[in-house]
Amino acid sequence: MLTATGVVAGYGEHTVLRSVDLTVTPGRITGLQGPSGSGKSTLARVVALLHPRTAGTVTVDGRSVTGSGYLAPAELRRRIGMVFQSPRAATDPRWTLRQVIAEPLGAARRSATRQRVAELAEQFQLTDDLLDRYPHQVSDGQLQRACLARAVALRPAYLVCDEATAMLDPSTTATIAQLVRGLADAGTGVLAVSHDRALLTAWADHVLDLHDLHADARTSWES
Amino acid sequence: MTSELTAVPRAIDRSRWRAPVTWRPARVPGGRRRWVLPLCVGVLVVLVLFAVVVPWVAGIDPRQTALADANQAPSWDHWFGTDQAGRDLVVRVAEGLRVSLLVAAVCAVVATVLGCVVGLTAAVVGGRTDRVLMRTVDGLNAVPHLLLGIVIAAMWKGAILAVIASIALTHWTQVARIVRAQALTVRTRDYVLATVSLGGSRRQVLVRHLLPAVAPQALLSVALLLPHAVWHESALSFLGVGLPPDRPSLGTLLEDARTRILVGQWWTLVFPSLALIATTAAVAGLSAAARDRLLPHRRTEVGVGGAA
Amino acid sequence: MTAAGAVPGAPPVLSIRGLSVQLGLLDGRWVHAVSDLDMDLPAGTVTLLAGESGCGKSVLASALIGLLPPTARVRGQVGLDGPDPLDLLAADDDVLATRVRGRRVGLVPQSAGTALTPTRTVGALLSEAVTTLGGAVPAADLLREVWLDPDGVADLYPHQLSGGMAHRVLLALALAGQPDVLLCDEPTAGLDPENAAHVAGLLAAQARTGRAVLLISHDIAACAPVADRVAVMVSSRVVEVGPATDVLDRPWHDYPQALWNSLPERGFRPVPGDPPPLTDLPDDCAWHRRAGGACSGVLTLEPVAPDHWVSCGRGPVGVGC
Repeated sequence: MLTATGVVAGYGEHTVLRSVDLTVTPGRITGLQGPSGSGKSTLARVVALLHPRTAGTVTVDGRSVTGSGYLAPAELRRRIGMVFQSPRAATDPRWTLRQVIAEPLGAARRSATRQRVAELAEQFQLTDDLLDRYPHQVSDGQLQRACLARAVALRPAYLVCDEATAMLDPSTTATIAQLVRGLADAGTGVLAVSHDRALLTAWADHVLDLHDLHADARTSWES
Repeated sequence: MTSELTAVPRAIDRSRWRAPVTWRPARVPGGRRRWVLPLCVGVLVVLVLFAVVVPWVAGIDPRQTALADANQAPSWDHWFGTDQAGRDLVVRVAEGLRVSLLVAAVCAVVATVLGCVVGLTAAVVGGRTDRVLMRTVDGLNAVPHLLLGIVIAAMWKGAILAVIASIALTHWTQVARIVRAQALTVRTRDYVLATVSLGGSRRQVLVRHLLPAVAPQALLSVALLLPHAVWHESALSFLGVGLPPDRPSLGTLLEDARTRILVGQWWTLVFPSLALIATTAAVAGLSAAARDRLLPHRRTEVGVGGAA
Repeated sequence: MTAAGAVPGAPPVLSIRGLSVQLGLLDGRWVHAVSDLDMDLPAGTVTLLAGESGCGKSVLASALIGLLPPTARVRGQVGLDGPDPLDLLAADDDVLATRVRGRRVGLVPQSAGTALTPTRTVGALLSEAVTTLGGAVPAADLLREVWLDPDGVADLYPHQLSGGMAHRVLLALALAGQPDVLLCDEPTAGLDPENAAHVAGLLAAQARTGRAVLLISHDIAACAPVADRVAVMVSSRVVEVGPATDVLDRPWHDYPQALWNSLPERGFRPVPGDPPPLTDLPDDCAWHRRAGGACSGVLTLEPVAPDHWVSCGRGPVGVGC
């Protein structure tokens, strides 16, 4: 279980999340819905240990995490994969897709890395030709598949998708959703964040409204 | 309103408008800039060979005067002409180019490396370190850098190392500022966040993402600093704290030419200037080509991915 | 016979005939962005141009107002009707800049974040546009036209606008010269469903005042409800054009069917196969090569019903779910 309890977070003086609780269960897709600017992305980043919180706790499989970003233990950060809204912004323009996917695997064990990249390429339908291209030479959908492959390269227990399909066309959205569903069926706990309720209804196992997760508006969604 | 519409057919006879097939404007853009890199490399190689080989082969002491041959226009014996002391300008330009290139290249590289180290440190560590480093940069910028350079150069008058130090130590601040700004924008990109989320450390972010991102800026600053350093060296020499007057450099040669041009001796100005311009242009072209290689998305100007 | 995509009755404001656009790459290859497009934009209607990302939709908008990159080449005709008819592809840039762009053809750009000058207030931007374009409608009325309160919005700077408001300001700017044609490139990008529906509604309202609106979008959920006609594009070709209800619910071509089926509400099944890169399209039907299925090889649009055109020799593929 990936849980956030009583999370308070924001940007400088501006508090976006006022005491929010959230649980991500292995093997399920948890949808998180809310209008633009409501703090969905902030919560996703807090849960992925990328954004500092001023109060509250995040626990990964029972281990409470102190700090965020570089200060959070690296092995806990690796337990949670993250997929961002814009695949273009989330890939270094100087790297080929192969390098993007291989980044988390490091250069230490070469043959194992190559094998894992080949596995991921097959799982996410990336041909050899695509792997040798740069981000500007592939479509948004192909690039987002590479980002998804990178996020799960180290077999994280959890995956956070922050508006991962907002920039994509319907077909590509369906492809990404299908791939993420496959990961969830294999045991990954997924947090899918979106402003599109229709999308989350079709994609997630259950949909939460960010508004209801605040302590001051909490309802019995936990059932 | 409709009958005169020759260009706007209402009822379309397809055959009429589909054939003949003509494309316009059909400018073929391929290969426009392919010659830039080889040309720049070629020019630089020629210049360096010229600077190294000529003084060595000619066997003439560039300081040796021959007053009988003074102030000659370019001829078969003296391709670039001679100066007021009868010294051959081919040899002196080559010697001057060698000294200037050496001084300028060392200055540019030292200033750039120093600027990158300070800029990246400020951006990556942030907080108090950032503030202290950037206030130091502001402080240095507040002092006229020629003045500061004179002080440094005057401490070891005539020494080539002092000239290098005085230029390098006064020019890293701009580089530091630009590198810091670039590193700060990259640091908050999603792909850096992705590296962090995959367990990456500060060092990994620095090496994998930040250094490659500031490399084009660093190259550009080397290219911009090179000619600037040549001018600076000449200014210091002119003020009497740089290289000794008998030691030819492009700066001292141009300083000489400043007076000679008034009596019509154009060659004293033209040949050292050409050497300087060729060096500057070749280095600038080289850095632009290198930047394109560092940024894959610049290689093909029209992105396919953007054609949504 | 009338042209493909022509509407009987309503006069077309913009008639696109045999339009092809290719963009040159530095390595000498060509991006086939638009191939042999025939389409009419009738006055008073909203035409939705749908298709996957990277199928050439946005390039079409740039081509229609002559804002292609200098490496591009075009062929065909884009006839702009009116008191002073004009072929937009043949017109020189001076004519386009001084007489067409903003005045007769307005463009609502895709990115609200970068399309507004950050240092000017909304009111100043709008008044300037009205003055430059010689528009008859004052800035305040333009804001009212896009359902914004001039008193509240005119003094705001672009960064103070929410995403939905910024999109509406962009629309107001496009209306400053009172153009006959409105080209909208992904006008709902990045908006949540409420705001997206709002912007789409505004565009429909503009069509009702007599303008021809081309809505280029892959946000089908938000745009389909306001569309009168739908055109579907895949791999640089429009494969079906017709009345919105027919194309959305009973498409003849199998690509629109596959595209609708990928919507979360309609099955959520991805369109089969990856689109081939536009640099490297086959001479025959790229779609049927990618997805399988028989293709007649006739890539031009053929009429199948009044005001309904389909390519590839398709019959009806059945009722949509």
